[in-house]
Amino acid sequence: MEDYTLDTEDGRLEALRRMLTIREFDTKAGEYFADGEIPGFVHLYIGEEAVGVGTCAALEPDDYITSTHRGHGHCIAKGLDTKLMMAELFGKRSGYCNGKGGSMHIADVDAGMLGANGIVGAGPPLATGAALSIDYQDRDQVALAFLGDGAVAQGQVHEAVNMASTWDLPAIFLVENNKYGEATPVEKQHNVKQLSDTAQAYDIPGVTVDGMDVTAVTEAVEEARKRARAGDGPTMIEAETYRYNGHYEGDEQNYRDEEEVAQWKERDAIESFKERLLDRGELTEAEFGELQAEVEDEIADAVEYAQNSDLPEPEEAYEDMFSESVPEVEQFASRLRTDGGSSRGDSQ
Amino acid sequence: MAHVGLIVNPSAGRDIRRLTGGASVVDNYAKRRVAECVLDGLSLAGEFPSVAVMPDKTGIASHAIAEAPTKMDIEPVEMPIKESAADTRRAAAHFRESADVVVVLGGDGTSRDAALELGDVPLVSVSTGTNNVVPTPVDGTVAGAAAAAVANDAVDGDAVTYRHGRIDVRADDVTGEKRLSGLATVGIIDRSFVGTRAVIDPSELLGGVVSRAHPAAIGLTSVAGCIEPLAPNAPGGAALRLGDPDETDRSVRAVLAPGMTTTVGIEAHEPLDWDEPATFAVTDGVVGADGERELELTDAIVSITPTADGPRLVDVDTALEAAAAAGSLVSSETPIGDR
Repeated sequence: MEDYTLDTEDGRLEALRRMLTIREFDTKAGEYFADGEIPGFVHLYIGEEAVGVGTCAALEPDDYITSTHRGHGHCIAKGLDTKLMMAELFGKRSGYCNGKGGSMHIADVDAGMLGANGIVGAGPPLATGAALSIDYQDRDQVALAFLGDGAVAQGQVHEAVNMASTWDLPAIFLVENNKYGEATPVEKQHNVKQLSDTAQAYDIPGVTVDGMDVTAVTEAVEEARKRARAGDGPTMIEAETYRYNGHYEGDEQNYRDEEEVAQWKERDAIESFKERLLDRGELTEAEFGELQAEVEDEIADAVEYAQNSDLPEPEEAYEDMFSESVPEVEQFASRLRTDGGSSRGDSQ
Repeated sequence: MAHVGLIVNPSAGRDIRRLTGGASVVDNYAKRRVAECVLDGLSLAGEFPSVAVMPDKTGIASHAIAEAPTKMDIEPVEMPIKESAADTRRAAAHFRESADVVVVLGGDGTSRDAALELGDVPLVSVSTGTNNVVPTPVDGTVAGAAAAAVANDAVDGDAVTYRHGRIDVRADDVTGEKRLSGLATVGIIDRSFVGTRAVIDPSELLGGVVSRAHPAAIGLTSVAGCIEPLAPNAPGGAALRLGDPDETDRSVRAVLAPGMTTTVGIEAHEPLDWDEPATFAVTDGVVGADGERELELTDAIVSITPTADGPRLVDVDTALEAAAAAGSLVSSETPIGDR
């Protein structure tokens, strides 16, 4: 993964590029899902770009992240290939998981991306495990879990944060508080209204930052990373942000009004970061136009790549599940090949 | 009937200094309890005043109203909730027209946001934030009692309040003129962006202007206070220009944030009169007020001026001493709070 940080002019432009890439990727993902070309579900990250990018800009290339069901932004921020991502969304064999995972299961262990996750709150235990491996092998890395406001109320998140804090593991829990768990406002999900307050229960620092400001997110993650690497244990960071689209594409969103959405869009993270780079003389409107055009080309190429790729064959259904051969899986697989999978085990 | 405004900032006290310094956490439950204490304290001196509370989405205001003494006439201010500093400003602007005294729970940032809209309405500022120079670290009940004494005219309002200074900033940079106001401090920070807003690395503090100074304070006021203390109601202020302590003629050990004691090199310390500006050149930095980074500047000339028109702050100790001296705390009747 290419390293980038907000400390340099080049890094800031790269951060802007990635925020734009996320928005364009998810805009197209929404369109092709609506057209029926993308199967399954897609959960779009539009509006939350500053959180993923600000976070990954503060991490080192070999640090680990775990993601959520709304993971496209995390993948792009971490440097994954948009062609392979889009092919995965389209269910094609050229995708990250050979087309069998789809939107909610993109993973690239080599890039430090340990997986999107369809289960709310399932990322933090993976991050705690990764942090334990880092600690055990004494490597100079951290593991960061992205989780949503809804996940904070999940039991396994408590277990993961508790273990990481008890063992002072180099983990960071980055809560993306986008104000709704599916259709439920955050204030109806939790009695604790500021989710970073929950950190007190684990005796670790909990801070809240403006998730619509990429400079705020990156600064907090930098400090949390320093703390983790110093052996002082995990940190919880709550980034207050907002998803512009529904929970999933097709969501009627009758739980919120247009005025609220418009209010958050006024604070758009890409627009405000772009304005600041213009003010600093690090970007011109013309250069921004070029950047936007490059990003649109990249995503158009990704779509074309996905559309032109092959679907996996039914015979491949049981492949790519385990690194080593598992007899039961082999048994299922052989039955699928001989009878199309229609017979049940009890006929034998 | 006297009328009291109550502002509790639900966001105060959660910034990055919980991670980088020794700042403690004040959670919403604690704030709720302090707010309830303030309301209880309002029964101490004279009649119950009526109370209006800034609404919020975290339940602090609604809990305080639900738990208020039964005979208290209390309601939320009718206003939209933006979940930002705009809420404090809007509530304060409302109280400017309606309240006899306002109690604010928060830090320096909250106090400033309220103070700039309050005009002459006396302000009881109670510390629940991080870098607290302006607010008093006082029990909420006692703060409520002092507020009641002032609201009910049990004491001479002029005698128990003092006028705090204010610091006005005018910055001219490549994008034009920008303005900002602070109460106790305006600082210039060697960092490009507002980021998490707090000052997290003391070596990045380049200087600024204070309207008060004391070695027992925290932040730039502590630095200035180590050289020459300046009372909050004393006229004028002081400009500080800081440098690498290895290269400056003198340095001080100051408390720049909770748990962050630092050696600070002093290039210059200049006393300022009211309305006398200090000028700083900033090539790539941020100007902050009362502990929060606010304005990102490029190639700017920044003019920072202490002025006399800050808020009217209630001195809690003095107010209650005066109430006792006036006999307002002694009664032959059953105290109102116990009826």
